[in-house]
Amino acid sequence: MWTAALLAVLLSAPALPHAPDTGTGESIYRSGIGSSGVAITGSRDSSAAVAGADAACANCHRRSGLGQLEGRISIPPISGPYLFHPRAKEGDDLDLPFVESMRPDREPYTEASLAQTIRSGVGPDGRVLSYLMPRYAIGDEDMASLIEYLKGMTPSSVPGVTASVLHFATIITPDADPVRRRATLSVLEQYFTDKNAFARAASERLRSSHRMMFKANRHWMLHVWELSGAPDTWEQQLQLDLRREPVLAVISGAGGSNWSPVHRFCEHASLPCLFPNVELPVVDDRDFYSMYFSRGVLLEADLIAHQLSADREGRSAAQRVVELYRHGDVGAAAAAQLAAAFPDDAYTVLRRPVDGNPGRAGVAAALRDVRPQDIVVLWLRPSDLTELARVPVRARTVYMSALMGGLERTTLPQAWRPVTRMAYPFDLPAGRRIRMDYPLGWFSMRGIAVVDEQVQADTYLACGLLAETLSHMSDSFIRDYLLERLEGMLEHRVITGYYPHLSLAPGQRFASKGGYLVSFDGGQGPGIRAASEWITP
Amino acid sequence: MRGLVPLMLLPCALAMAAPPSPSASEHLTEVALSGAVTSSRFTVTTMDYTVPEVQLVRDDGRRVSLPRELDDGRAVVLNFIFTSCSSICPLSSQTLAQFQRDLGAERDQVHLVSISIDPEQDTPARLREYAKKFGAGRGWQHYTGSLEASLAAQRAFDADRGAKMSHSPVILLRGADDRHWRRIDGFITPDELLGEYRKLPARH
Repeated sequence: MWTAALLAVLLSAPALPHAPDTGTGESIYRSGIGSSGVAITGSRDSSAAVAGADAACANCHRRSGLGQLEGRISIPPISGPYLFHPRAKEGDDLDLPFVESMRPDREPYTEASLAQTIRSGVGPDGRVLSYLMPRYAIGDEDMASLIEYLKGMTPSSVPGVTASVLHFATIITPDADPVRRRATLSVLEQYFTDKNAFARAASERLRSSHRMMFKANRHWMLHVWELSGAPDTWEQQLQLDLRREPVLAVISGAGGSNWSPVHRFCEHASLPCLFPNVELPVVDDRDFYSMYFSRGVLLEADLIAHQLSADREGRSAAQRVVELYRHGDVGAAAAAQLAAAFPDDAYTVLRRPVDGNPGRAGVAAALRDVRPQDIVVLWLRPSDLTELARVPVRARTVYMSALMGGLERTTLPQAWRPVTRMAYPFDLPAGRRIRMDYPLGWFSMRGIAVVDEQVQADTYLACGLLAETLSHMSDSFIRDYLLERLEGMLEHRVITGYYPHLSLAPGQRFASKGGYLVSFDGGQGPGIRAASEWITP
Repeated sequence: MRGLVPLMLLPCALAMAAPPSPSASEHLTEVALSGAVTSSRFTVTTMDYTVPEVQLVRDDGRRVSLPRELDDGRAVVLNFIFTSCSSICPLSSQTLAQFQRDLGAERDQVHLVSISIDPEQDTPARLREYAKKFGAGRGWQHYTGSLEASLAAQRAFDADRGAKMSHSPVILLRGADDRHWRRIDGFITPDELLGEYRKLPARH
């Protein structure tokens, strides 16, 4: 049995993160680049050839090597065990992680027949491979490297997975807001408790097949990794945590102004990091292991830039944009991103750091020379926004960050509200009301105090997405495959909390792409209304 | 799920696109099981689609009406893509690119239309980059828009599979003055596509 073998491995050796081969085989597989940096080429009948990145195996068979179902097109797993296993009538008969697109009932490849098939597109049994699969021109040496890589692809042990328990971690940075930290942990801990209560109740009856057994029986265990000290020590702390407590993935978590060390750690450790509660995620197209609900304050900056660009059309005189932020807070990066959107003379963007402790007139000082025709952008926290009550409203147009300012519960003084539009990277309260019945009902029934509704809703959503994805994975708990399945599953999700819809794809790591600009209702309550359509900048 | 099982057990060569009707589906499975290979790469059916008034955003950033883009006096070759797609879409786009080159002097009489099924990710700038990568010539435009608009366009051509990652290869052809569409499900080579194009009625 796969699990028995797995258990044996786990007991006999310390579980370490799967360290991928960095050799030629991996480079061919992932990037289509062979030895000495030469692009691999392939062709399909009369179509033009594909080369390099466009010819990489991972494009279709995925980084995990476990293939995929794309509509009704079934792309088989091609990691070694799936190619070389003895013929079997059904996938369940093999000691291999089950994947839908596997083809158990086929004569095993040999290294020679596999090489021949990759080159000719004809299998050893005479069957012609799909038109989708290019016929590759790969030399003997590169072919040997590639096959060697395929053989080692599916890890024989998966850290954090035992016969009865799936281990997960959540990461809290020391600069995380205490309320957000509490909000995150309250939901996570309850979710894991609930999950395990259900697993126990259902265990025996569902032992009907290979697949069902693992779905029903594994308990979830949460490890809370609380970081301390300076950010440049976090990655080392996390490496120790992971060695001590091997986990399959990192789920949710709470960050402050600097999440980058955690993001980098997950990338280096090949560890999925799923939907942490952070306002400033790391945006890097090359990265694979971290998924976020949105680009956070960077998305807010783009929403504002989008509006400023639209307003700009047809106007001649350059306007000033005065951005207020605090050094060391996430607003600094957002302010920089907004400024970078106008490299030409369309707007003159002035970035003004607010000095001193909140309440010490720093905000007033930063706004001293603002004129009516200027645009003010507030990347400020509630404590600074409160101070605006003592500052006259001179600008006719003000933008603010919802994430930093507290969404519709912001402390922005009444006098400022008529001229202010808030970048709002969520669905409107009325739009999400029905979707939010689920988490709010769940919080209420379990006695979880709602201290930060959005953070708690996101945490609950992250847990739900993890559970749903794992249920699609049968017993194939492989880290890369977890991310790939999430990519495919997310769009089908109907209950998406604060977001109108979520969607990912290969290379996409931010599930919600847009937001609104909202204005405040006239009344005293927390009412907001859309001041734009849904914008996906 | 159940419906997928027979297909999953077939050799790769026979993995087919979602066929347009249940009867066609049975036929395809039969063909597949009988071992016919190259001829089962694609099916062609004649369909009568009504294109609704859908507002899309063209890759040059302009808002346009889909029916007006399609009824501009040229023949139409249409497909659905998304720029993050690494498997089926690049092949489909490559086929269209080669087809467009092979049209030669006739190129300006055919409008190639590629509509994103991931419109929130696929901004006009991303689409331009994608078009450039495939060497799209004049007469080949890519379109995005709101999620709802993209869905409406997909539904109009029975190409909505519930999620972008569940899509299947479909190319649609229509002659300049024709009402009927030729729907190609599956994998077609540029040569074969050119052949199908030449079969269209009322070609100028």
